[in-house]
This record gives sequence, C-alpha cells and structure tokens, in this order.
Amino acid sequence: MAELRGSHGDQAHHILTSLFGTPDLHTLSVYESKGGYTALRKALLDMAPADITNEVKTSGLRGRGGAGFATGTKWSFINRDAPGPKYVVVNADESEPGTAKDRYILENCPHMVVEGILIAAYAVGANQAWVYIRGEYDEPSRMLQAAIEEARAKGYVGPKPFGKDFPLDIRLYRGHGAYICGEETALLESLEGKRAQPRSRPPFPAVKGAWGRPTLLNNVETLATVPAIINRGGAEYAKLGTAKNPGTRLLTVSGNVRKPGVYEVEIGKTFRHVIMELAGGPPEGRVVKVFWPGGSSAPVLPGSMLDMTTDAEALAAAKSMGGSGGVIVMDDSHCIVKAAHRLLQFYAHESCGKCTPCRIGQDWAVRTYERILANEGSQVELDILQRVSDGLQNGRCLCGLGDSGGWVIDSTLRHFREEYEDHALRHECRVGTVAPPALRATSPQVGRT
Amino acid sequence: MSSPNKSALPTHILDEIRELPARYPQPRSAVMPALDLAQEELGHLTPEAMSEVAEALSLDPGYVEGVATFYSLFHHQPIGKHRFYVCTNLSCMLRGANEVVDHLKQAIGVERSDQVSSDGLFSFEEVECLGACEYAPMMRLDHRYFYDLNDQKVDALVAERRGKPVVTAEKPKPKRVPRKKPGG
Ligand SMILES: Cc1cc2nc3c(=O)[nH]c(=O)nc-3n(C[C@H](O)[C@H](O)[C@H](O)COP(=O)(O)O)c2cc1C
Ligand code: SF4
Ligand code: FES
Repeated sequence: MAELRGSHGDQAHHILTSLFGTPDLHTLSVYESKGGYTALRKALLDMAPADITNEVKTSGLRGRGGAGFATGTKWSFINRDAPGPKYVVVNADESEPGTAKDRYILENCPHMVVEGILIAAYAVGANQAWVYIRGEYDEPSRMLQAAIEEARAKGYVGPKPFGKDFPLDIRLYRGHGAYICGEETALLESLEGKRAQPRSRPPFPAVKGAWGRPTLLNNVETLATVPAIINRGGAEYAKLGTAKNPGTRLLTVSGNVRKPGVYEVEIGKTFRHVIMELAGGPPEGRVVKVFWPGGSSAPVLPGSMLDMTTDAEALAAAKSMGGSGGVIVMDDSHCIVKAAHRLLQFYAHESCGKCTPCRIGQDWAVRTYERILANEGSQVELDILQRVSDGLQNGRCLCGLGDSGGWVIDSTLRHFREEYEDHALRHECRVGTVAPPALRATSPQVGRT
Repeated sequence: MSSPNKSALPTHILDEIRELPARYPQPRSAVMPALDLAQEELGHLTPEAMSEVAEALSLDPGYVEGVATFYSLFHHQPIGKHRFYVCTNLSCMLRGANEVVDHLKQAIGVERSDQVSSDGLFSFEEVECLGACEYAPMMRLDHRYFYDLNDQKVDALVAERRGKPVVTAEKPKPKRVPRKKPGG
C-alpha cells in the first residue's frame, strides 16, 4: 500500500482511524486483536434488532455519502418482518470529485466495513448484502473480498455468526465507470444490469429497492462508523461533534495544500483548522483563493470564509453543504473560470441523459465556457451561464447531478463575478495566460447523450 | 482474435457467461460481468461479441449494446495493451495533471483517446476523479493506481512496458515504428 496520507493512530477524537497505521490491520487476526468484531458479537448476542436501530438513532449519525440523511431513521423505514428477501446495498461507488475517504477506509481496514454491514443487515433483517464498488477500485475490491473470505472462514459471514441463527452473505458488484452510479437509485438500476439512470422516488429503496425488494442503502463510511457506535453506545458517540451533526467524519483534503490527505475531524471544527493546520495550508507564498467544502458538487466558498465550520447547518446557511466531505483547495495562482469549466465538463460527461435540462444544459454551459475562455465572450455569455445555472436547479432535474452543475456555475459567479467579467468582457485573466481550452481526450459517451 | 465463420468469443468464455445469471437474484445482473469476460478476452467489445453475450444470456442484442455503451470502462474500439487512465479532474488538474497528459502523449506517440500506438502497446484517456485525490496527480494503469506523477515516472512506466531498461539520465525517445496495423 502507498504511504498513508491522513489521520491514523490514537488521538482523542479518532474513532474511525485510531487503528489505521497498525501493521496488517487489514487481516482478521490483527483487527480482532484490536477489538474488532466485538460490536458484532454484542449486537447479535445482547441486542434486539430494534435496540440496534435505536442506538444508531441515539448516536445522531447522518449518512456520509452526501445527502446527510439520519441513518437510524433510514434503518427504521425497513419493515423487518416483511416476508421475502431484503437487501443491504453498500454504496462504494465513490466518484465525487475530491473524495477518497471510502477508498482510505477500504484499504486500511476492510473488516470495519464488513462488521458494519453485518450489524446493519441484522438490524434490518436482510440476509444478503451487495457492495457496489466502482470498477476502478481494483485494490480496495481485492482487499474487501479477502476480508469477506476471512470472515466467512471464521463463520462471521455465514449461517450462524457467533452461534446466532442469522444467515448472511456479502457479495461484491463492480461498477464500470459512471459517476451517476453513486446516486442511489441509479446504483440500483446498475446493480440490476441496466443503464444507470435514476428512478423517480417514491417508491424509496426502503420499500422497493434492489430487484424490487426492501433495501437499506448506505455509504461505506456510514457503515464503518456503526461498530464504534455499538461499542461506545449512541449517547457517548453523540457527545462528539455538534448537536444536530454528532460525531466525526473523514474529510479528503486535496488540491493546493502542502499535506493533502484524508483527515478525521470532529464535526464543527473550522475549515481553517482542516486546511491550514491538518493539511498544512497552501504552498509557500500562496493564499487560499477558494475551496469546495464537500466535493465538487458543494457550492464554493471564498478563502475569506475559512472560519466557516464543517457543520452541515452552518454550511447550509452559507448556501453550501457538507456533501461527501471532499475539501478541494485552490490557491491564488489558479483561475476560477478554468476550474468551473473543468467541473462543467465533468457534469456534462457524466449526465445520464434522462432529463433535458441536465443533458442539454450541462453541455451548453461547457460550450459557453469555451467561448469565454477563447476570448469570444461578452455579457451575453455571462447571462447564458446564469440562465443555464437556474435551469439546472430547484427541482428541474430528476437527480442531484443536475443541481450540482448549476451550483458550480452559480456559486463561482456569485463569489468571483469580477474574474468572470475579466474573461468575458475584457478578455484577460488575472492569474494566467488566456488561451482557448485544449480538447480533452475522453471516452466517447455514445450511449448516454 | 476472431476468424471467419467462427464465433468472436471462445466456447469456454461463453460457457462461463452462461453460468453467471444463477449468481444473482435476477439474471439480468449478469450482463456487466459477462461483458467484462468478453472484453478481457478480446480487448474491446465488438458488435459480434456483444451479440454473443446477448445470446448466451437470452437478452436482446440491442439491450446489451445499450448497457455496454453507457459505461466508460467498456471499450468499443481497439485499445492498447496498456491503457493509461489519467485523472484530470480538479484536484489532479491543480497539481499538474494536464502537463502529465501532454508528456504522456509525447512519450507513447498517441494524441487522442481513440488511437493506439503503432506497436499496439499503448493508448490513453483522460478520466474523471479516481478517488485518490490525496496522491494527485495520479492515474490507473494495468489495474493499479500510480501516484504523484511527473515526467520521469511516466517515462519509467512506459519504458518498463516496452521491456526496455529505464533510462534516467536522458529521456528515452518515443519509439517510432513504421506504420502497421494496430492490435495484436
Ligand atoms: C449524482 C450523485 C452522486 C452520488 N455519489 C455518491 C457516491 O459516490 N457515494 C455515496 O455513498 N453516495 C453518493 N451519493 C448519495 C447517494 O445517493 C445516497 O444518498 C447515499 O449513498 C446514501 O447513503 P448514506 O445515507 O449512508 O449517506 C450521490 C448522490 C448523487 C445525487
Ligand atoms: S439530472 Fe442529469 S444525471 Fe440526474 S437523472 Fe437527470 S439527466 Fe440523469
Ligand atoms: S481528482 Fe484526480 S483522483 Fe480525484
């Protein structure tokens, strides 16, 4: 494995990462020697399924995949007594630009994820779990598969874990390169062997999910947190973080910082702490110009707002969000218009093509950015960008990918209008050379748009 | 590869594909694992291969092609024996990914994602975030991730795959072979 970049080792607030860095932690024997699988034993032998769900509710844990939905509440939506198969589906598609924390967990401690899955499955009464893992994650897949096999050999995955009559199997399903598969209903379509186009909700996955059956869908980090909650107790976990957003979460800090990495942070700490202290701040002589607080889909905040906290409520008040926890930092040597253009290329490329504002709008935005960057811009282009941005937002699209593209345009325009005007009206760039964007060598998306 | 009057996929692969549906709650989920097997065998998915996958799974060929063209890890044209998937999304771009791509193009003598180097060894594409942003700029190659890329690392990866010792003092010149058919 590559050198660890991020939190590891015992520190007061480390819940997920305190064991990271232990040699061979990915093996069952080492994980168990450090207290692994005690939460599963406790859940199976000492707790009723409803108690487990209640403990998770008490912890206040909110989903770490992006939407931040209350995890315990989500678990309680599954009717445990409904006859027929039920599934746990794990979202390991991790494709939000700037986010690497699920990979960090899977490579360091795959058994923690396996344990979380087993507890969740027992709580909601599912006998089969599917991990949908992005196709590019070869190493994490191998490690997770190996962990499952070890747990199977030990009897934790199988007909009678710890002697309890609770058969469970965990299987992997590999993705094949499509960001939209991270969206939960698109993921389910893909798992069913279809083009990954989101479904309209309701019905929600808890009622009609994978293969039409009740399904609990959670992110890797969400489930990896569950063993700690069962071990400590929900109330103890809830003492960390803020009242509405308890606990810690993994923030991936990337871009123009001296120490990029995946850092475990108590929710409520400021971005100044995260970016300037943990990640070492921007390179010598540079300042933070802008940062994306929660993956590329989270509206940007200017460097002047570094004292913003990592709490979802505070971020929402600043018109942004905690999202996937991907903190992308850009310093003052880079151009905001070029950065926005690159992200719109991403959203255009990844649009699944199901709804018109997204399929057409994202592409229209890219072409508008291209004109601006080629010095062919004017007030007309700025107006078009604002119009396209509005058209992508506020429920005009079926899923969050549409809004995300709109938010990139809207938030960068809102905070950096002068730089847009430099490019569009005065044909100059305050940080770099003005040159038309080069053609990208991407895979053709014949089947999507 | 395929020859006239014979199927695109060998019998043992088709047999393997026929066994896949039983592993899933519903057989349709086998379509992507099946396409994986086909692509591993042939390097890319030809229309014939997709039809044979469809037949083996009792699905409509158009349906299978619809799925295969949705996902960017399925290739529909020949690719190099080694394909460089270079991330150029924001975190990598901010740390020099575009320069890595420029250097790679020159090192393998390929300009676009639909081209293959004349010796059939190399192709590349720019991809979206690969979920390893703390090691930016980075890429995926031969089912592995490579981190903290720079020109020297790219040169070394290319040279290793050409089966030539890594030259450190001097940049190895991109090998120019007289044009012949790519593939093989
Ligand atoms: C476009 C889009 C992409 C998403 N990508 C991911 C992803 O890669 N991983 C993830 O866990 N959730 C992703 N989500 C959020 C999921 O839809 C879902 O809310 C989440 O997986 C639920 O798990 P949680 O409650 O544990 O967070 C994405 C959502 C959207 C709209
Ligand atoms: S918003 Fe975009 S990605 Fe989402 S369903 Fe519509 S077209 Fe597909
Ligand atoms: S942006 Fe390149 S790996 Fe995330």
